[in-house]
Amino acid sequence: MNRFLPVALALMIGSPAFAQIGNPAGLAPDTKMQEPGVPAPHQTNNQDRLFAQLAAAGGLAEVEFGKFASTKATTASVKEFAQAMVNDHTDANSKLKELADAAKIPLPDTLDADHRVIRQDLEKAEGKAFDIAYMRSQIIDHQKMAQLLAWELNSGEDAEMQRYAAATLPKVMHHLRMAQNIASELTGQGSREVVASQTKK
Amino acid sequence: MSPLKLIALSCLVTASAVSLAAFSDPLPPDLTYRPLPTQPFSSVKANDEAQKPKVMERQQTLLNQRYDLSDKAMSNVSMSGGMKKVQEGVRVKLPDGVTWESLADMSPDEIRDKNLLPDGFKPLPHVKQATGGQVFPQKQIDEIGKQEARDLKRFDVDFDLPDHLTPEFPPPIFLTTHPELGDVSRGQLLTIRNFYEYMNGIITPVQMEGLRLLLTPFPQEEFNQTEDRKVAQQSMGVACLDCHSNFNTNAAFHLTPDVRPQASRFRLDTTSLRGMFNQQIHGSKRSLRSVEDFTEFEQRTAYFNGDHVSATRKGVNLPDRPNQVAMMAQMQNIIDFPPAPKLDPLGRLDPAKASEQELMGERVFLGKGRCGECHIPQTSFLDNNMHDLRLERFYNVGYSANDQVAIPDGPIKTFTLRGIKDTPPYLHDGRLLTLADTVEYFNLVLGVKLTQDEKNALVAYMLTL
Ligand code: HEC
Ligand code: HEC
Repeated sequence: MNRFLPVALALMIGSPAFAQIGNPAGLAPDTKMQEPGVPAPHQTNNQDRLFAQLAAAGGLAEVEFGKFASTKATTASVKEFAQAMVNDHTDANSKLKELADAAKIPLPDTLDADHRVIRQDLEKAEGKAFDIAYMRSQIIDHQKMAQLLAWELNSGEDAEMQRYAAATLPKVMHHLRMAQNIASELTGQGSREVVASQTKK
Repeated sequence: MSPLKLIALSCLVTASAVSLAAFSDPLPPDLTYRPLPTQPFSSVKANDEAQKPKVMERQQTLLNQRYDLSDKAMSNVSMSGGMKKVQEGVRVKLPDGVTWESLADMSPDEIRDKNLLPDGFKPLPHVKQATGGQVFPQKQIDEIGKQEARDLKRFDVDFDLPDHLTPEFPPPIFLTTHPELGDVSRGQLLTIRNFYEYMNGIITPVQMEGLRLLLTPFPQEEFNQTEDRKVAQQSMGVACLDCHSNFNTNAAFHLTPDVRPQASRFRLDTTSLRGMFNQQIHGSKRSLRSVEDFTEFEQRTAYFNGDHVSATRKGVNLPDRPNQVAMMAQMQNIIDFPPAPKLDPLGRLDPAKASEQELMGERVFLGKGRCGECHIPQTSFLDNNMHDLRLERFYNVGYSANDQVAIPDGPIKTFTLRGIKDTPPYLHDGRLLTLADTVEYFNLVLGVKLTQDEKNALVAYMLTL
């Protein structure tokens, strides 16, 4: 899975000097403070709680679809991608679970309605059509996950949750780019590689 | 598989997209719309004030990591008003182990994979990204306080760049209608208090009314009466020329209105309004087609928040198009660039007046450096187009710095280079502090591999514009 990880992730996790500082207008009214203006660890607002739930639902679906697709897919790159989703999101999900437990946020443990519909559609598709349908659903899911993570980064108040969002976002954008590239290969579109160099042939 | 089955399949795939769209999409309700504050003003203010030292320290740390912020003025070059020296040298710091030459020799892929793009080339975060909003430099705050007793000081953040890296204040004003007068600012900041005395006899009644409106404060996102404000007292608001001081810029900054979610909004450095008469597209992203459109629109969305919903709550100003908007636009359209005595009528250097180095700079600009392909001299160094410089070829997107998520800039309009020495910092978000920085930036982005002599010549040339 190393192929799927962007470089220098460690660098992207903010050092304490670069801790998240939100707009206090969005703090939960009952927030306990560690010091004035700084919420105590694991204090959450509505946004943190919603984020944890939606991110967990997304992560759960990633793993489930990944397992499904890694066996059902026919194209090698799709299989490989699916396996990477299982690995990366299993890690991310357990980290999120830790943070949610610490903040006493219950997380979903079954697919949400949206993902159940996708699952049904994927079950019906076969062969290359399956590969394409899976990759397309992955593009949408990663687009949404990127919005969600960016949202938590500015709207939440649980600093650890926000750092988690900041550290996960580059990975999700990287997955998105990969999904776009694989989908364009499958469908014969030109490469979408947004970061391709001028010099690359 | 039978062809029929295949068709059925592809229908299924499409159907899945359709059924998805019809489903209740589980994304948060305040991704696009601004949430209402959840707390009363007093407790928000107390928390904001408590956070402020950390916010400022965090931003200073980031700025110091990225830039050399020291005061190194050119001994012989001032801005057009003659009151402030232009800063020299490259201020963006290089990562360890590379030089500007070795960097320019690497491919974009290599720079990205080795994480070697100087941080100062990357998007510059707002001082407090999660809140955003307009932030004024101290001199503007002081002058408006003195003249109008209006408070532009925020309790949650201060302006972040040192004064010597910002434009001269107050800047001179040049009118297309009175070139013979030169600077008509009298060295003062135009305000609602003094504009009539200063401009009486120089401008028309229509222009005068336009100017009055441009100087009249209206409630804005952070400057209003609601608990959403970031100023201590209920505020009368902000005037257009609070940022575009004397129709130039004081480097007040904001976040782009054109992007959501909040964390991905890029910083916006105030543009100068000089030479607006020759510009066909307005706004770095919106590409509005007239000064009128820009003027009419800006106030209804609380200046650069792209949010008419939230703005309405604070008291929106809807200037009347045929009367008020037209007059405001006509006033803006008579603001000239500062004189550039070495340029001929077609925007080319006069060899009799320019130095050898400046002439060399022009040759590089139009030739090897390729600058003139977008900054066309004959059309005020504009091409009235937007271009995607694709800086993201050089770094991995999605990392965040001070709560701002770096996403690709996408197409941005070409800025004029007339009067360019008067308007630091540079680029749409002010991420570059000097003209020498812009040369290194474009050298890398365009891959033109300029020599040090050519780079120096380009800077010398741009100082003549
Ligand atoms: C908070 C500071 C601020 C205030 C207040 C402000 N502006 Fe601006 N102005 C800017 C910034 C920043 C830009 C660049 C916008 C962009 O790139 O999208 C800009 C751009 C413009 C432009 C387009 C210039 C160009 O180069 O594209 C015009 C015209 C303009 N402003 C007029 C006005 C008018 C009229 C008002 C009052 C209704 C006003 N501005 C109020 C900061 C300000
Ligand atoms: C592909 C078109 C293009 C070329 C070629 C180009 N520029 Fe630009 N220039 C732009 C755009 C677009 C911007 C605004 C970019 C931004 O804000 O992110 C800009 C901005 C600038 C600015 C900052 C203007 C301001 O007000 O902040 C300077 C200075 C500049 N360019 C100098 C140069 C030089 C020097 C060269 C040649 C080495 C050059 N440009 C080549 C399109 C171009």
